[in-house]
Amino acid sequence: MAQYNIKQGRNIKIKGSAEKRVVAAALPKLVALVCEDLRGWLPKVLVAPGAVVKAGTPVVMDKNNEAIKLVAPVSGTVRAVNRGEKRALTNIVIEPDNSDAAEKFTRYQFSDLPGLSRAAVVTQLLAGGLWPCLRQRPFSRLADPALVPKAIFVHAMNTEPLAADVDFVLEGREKDFQAGLDIIRKLSPGQTHLCIDSRARSAALTGAAGVELQRFSGAHPAGNVSTHIHCVDPVNKGEVVWYIEAQDVLRVAALFLRGVHSAERMVAVTGEGARERVYFKTVSGAPVASLLAGSNLAGQRCISGSILAGRNVGPEGFLGFYDSQVTVLPEGGKRELFGWMMPGFNKYTFTSTYMSAFLPRTENTLDTDTHGALRAIVWPALYDDYVALDLMTFFLVRAIIVGDIEEMISLGILECDEEDFALCSFACPSKVDVGGYIRQGLDLVEAEG
Amino acid sequence: MKFVEKIMQKFGAPFQKNGPLEKLYPLYEAIDTFVLTPGKVTRKAPHVRDSVDLKRMMVFVIIALVPATVMGIYNTGYQMLLAQQAAPDLMACLRLGAGKVLPIIAVSYAVGGFWEVLFAVVRKHEINEGLLVTGLLFPLVLPPTIPLWMVAVGISFGVVMGKELFGGTGYNVFNPALLARACLFFAYPSQMSGAKVWVAVDGYTRATPLGVVSQAAHGVDPVQALAGAGYTFQDLFWGLRPGSIGETSTFACILGLVFLLITRVANWKIVLSCVAGTFTMATIFSLFNGPNQPAYFALPVYWHYVLGGFAFGAVFMATDPVSAPATRLGHWIYGFMIGAITVIVRVANPAYPEGMMLAILFMNVFASSIDYTVMMSHIGSRNKRNRALSSVK
Repeated sequence: MAQYNIKQGRNIKIKGSAEKRVVAAALPKLVALVCEDLRGWLPKVLVAPGAVVKAGTPVVMDKNNEAIKLVAPVSGTVRAVNRGEKRALTNIVIEPDNSDAAEKFTRYQFSDLPGLSRAAVVTQLLAGGLWPCLRQRPFSRLADPALVPKAIFVHAMNTEPLAADVDFVLEGREKDFQAGLDIIRKLSPGQTHLCIDSRARSAALTGAAGVELQRFSGAHPAGNVSTHIHCVDPVNKGEVVWYIEAQDVLRVAALFLRGVHSAERMVAVTGEGARERVYFKTVSGAPVASLLAGSNLAGQRCISGSILAGRNVGPEGFLGFYDSQVTVLPEGGKRELFGWMMPGFNKYTFTSTYMSAFLPRTENTLDTDTHGALRAIVWPALYDDYVALDLMTFFLVRAIIVGDIEEMISLGILECDEEDFALCSFACPSKVDVGGYIRQGLDLVEAEG
Repeated sequence: MKFVEKIMQKFGAPFQKNGPLEKLYPLYEAIDTFVLTPGKVTRKAPHVRDSVDLKRMMVFVIIALVPATVMGIYNTGYQMLLAQQAAPDLMACLRLGAGKVLPIIAVSYAVGGFWEVLFAVVRKHEINEGLLVTGLLFPLVLPPTIPLWMVAVGISFGVVMGKELFGGTGYNVFNPALLARACLFFAYPSQMSGAKVWVAVDGYTRATPLGVVSQAAHGVDPVQALAGAGYTFQDLFWGLRPGSIGETSTFACILGLVFLLITRVANWKIVLSCVAGTFTMATIFSLFNGPNQPAYFALPVYWHYVLGGFAFGAVFMATDPVSAPATRLGHWIYGFMIGAITVIVRVANPAYPEGMMLAILFMNVFASSIDYTVMMSHIGSRNKRNRALSSVK
C-alpha cells in the first residue's frame, strides 16, 4: 500500500453535487448500447432494426478482432442503429420488453474464482460482452486480448467536478467487488492496483484483498487513471497496462457468479439544472431524460460525464458506455457589456482577476460560455500547474503541432489522455483546447505505430 | 444589453461577408468584442472555461502601468519646471508633462494599431490584445524629448519586425517594445542617450544618475558623485530624476508589481530572480573594487535597483510571458541572468551606462535555448524515473 499526494491541479468549485441517496429508477422505455465512447476498434453491426435480442446477445463486433463483442444490455427489440459523421456508429437503441430473457454464460461459485485460469477469464469476458470495459494504455483504447498487460489498474476514485463518489457507490457491495477483483487480477501476471481516495471508508475498497491498495489525495486530476498509472507503474514505450472502472468490476462479478450480462449502473445526477440530484440505480446506456424527470432542460446542456471530460448528449441522448454521472449545465452565450473591465463578483476563475476570487465562496454557478475567443498561446508556463503527470505540457503541445512523433514520445505522450489536460483548457486565457491537441497527437502516434 | 447588441449589429453589417467593408472584419471584431463579450459557448469537453481571457489579462497589465505613467507625466513636467527654475506646482507639472507624454503615447498606439490592423486584415486573423501593452510600454521607455516621427518609426519596427514577422503576439522572440527602443537607441543615439535628451527644455543639459555614475572618475565614491549632481536615494526611489518617461519611479513600478502579483498576472519568479541576479553580480563587482577601478564598482547594491530602468524592466519587460522561457526552471535562470547581465553592462562597459534593455533582449534570444536545455534534462530525468518505477525491468 502506498499513499500519493498530488500537488498539482485544482478543483472547480461548482454548485450542484448529488445528494448521497440512492433512488431505483424504473427500466427506461429505451436503452442504448453507446458505441461512440469506445476507441481502437472497427465496429460491425450484427443486428438490424426489428431484431429481437436477449440481454447478452451480441449486437456489434470488432472487425479487427472478431472475438470482441458488444452485447445487448437488456432484452427487447432493436429499434435503431444510429450513425454519425462519416457513418461512424454512435449507438444501437433497444426497446426493452421488461422480461428476464438473457443469454446464459458459464456460472461459477465463489469458491471457483481463485482457481480460474487466465484463459477462462478472457473467454468469459469476451463472450459476455464485458471485454470493452477493459481499456488499455497507451491510447485509452479497447484492451487487446492478444496482449498481456504488465499491471491492471482499478479506477476506484474520481475527482472530476461533482463526480459520483465511488466510495458511496460500492458501500455494501464488498462481496461482489472482491469477487470481481479476484477475476480481474487473473488477467495480468503483474500486480492489480486498486486506486482509491485516501478518504475512502467503505469496506469494499479499504478491505479489498489480493490487490495493491494505492491511496491518492489532492485536487483534480488526482483521481484520473493517468495520474494513478504515472505514480505507480508508468507506461514506457512497448509496455501496456489495462484499467477498468470500479462499477464495471461489479458487472464482471455478476457475469461470473450469475452467468448473465448485467448492465446495472449507479449514476450520480448532478448540476444546478437537474431537479432531483441523487444517485440513480439504472442501466448503462439509459436515456439521460429518464434520470432528469421534472427538470426544466430549456437552455441547459445535458452532459454524460463531468463538465471537464463528459460528452454533450442533449436531452434525447444516452448515458455513455463508461459514464456514471450526468451533469446538467446552463448554456452560456449571453453577451455582456465591457466584460473585460467589470469587477465580476459572479465570474468563476482560477486567477485573481475577478472580485469573485476574493470572496469566500465554496460553490459557484458556471455555464458553457468560453468567456473569450481563441488566441495564440501566451501563457505557456501556466499549463503544468494543472497537470498531475511529470511532463512539460507546452512542449508536448508544440511537438504535436509540428508532428514530431519522436519528441512527443520522449515528452511522455504515451502516458496521457486528453482528459488529463481538461484543466489546462479550462484555465488557458487564450482558450486553447489543450486536450484536443493531445488527442490529435495520440491518434498520430497510434496511426504511425 | 439587447440595445447595445442591436447597435453593434447595425454597425457591423457592412463588415459581414459580402459587405462593402468585408476585408476590415478583424477591425469590427475587435471593436465588437471590446464593447460586448464574445458570447460564444464551448462545443465539446471541457464544457466550462475560466472567466479570464487575454483581453482582461492585458488590460490588467495596463492598469498596473498607470502609476508609472502618471508618475512619468508628473516627473516630465517637474523636470521641465526645475530646469526653468520655476516652482514645481502639482497641476503645472501634470499639465506640462501631459503635453509632452500624451502625444507620444497617442502616436505609439495609432501607428502600432495601424500595423496590427493591417496584418490582421491581410492575414485574416483577429486583432490581438498584445498591442494594448506594447503600445504603452514603448512610450514609457523613451526620453520625453523624442520627436514624434521617431516614435512612429520605433513602434513600426517593434510591431512589424519584432512581432508580426514571426506570426503575431504569442510567436515573437523579442519583447516588441524593447526591440523598438533598441532600434531607436542604435539608429538615433543622439536622440536616445546623452545628457541633453532627458529634460524637455531646449538646450538644457542634465546627466541622468546612470550617466553621473558611469562618468565619475576612478576611485571616486559614486554615492558622493550622485549627491554632488543633486541626486539622493529618495529622489531616485520616488522618481524625481531625469530619465525615460515611465522608468524613473521605482515606487510606481512597485505599485504596479503589487497589483500584478495580487492578480497573479505577472510571474514573481522572474522578478525575484532578477533582483537576486543583480544582487549577486553587484556584490561580486564590489569585491573587486579598488582605487583603479571605475566608480561603478563601488556602488552599493541597493542603488542598482533604483537606477535607470531596472525596476521598470524587471516588472514589466522581463515578465512578458511570450519572450520569457516557458519552463519553471527557465524562469529562474532567465531572471537571474537578466539581473546579472544588467550589472555587467552597467559596470564593465562604459559605452552603455544602462544595461537593462540589452540584458532583457539578450536573454530573449537565449530563452529558447534555456527551454531546450531544461526540456532535454527533463526528458532524461523522466525516462530514468519511469524506468525505475516500472514493474517491467
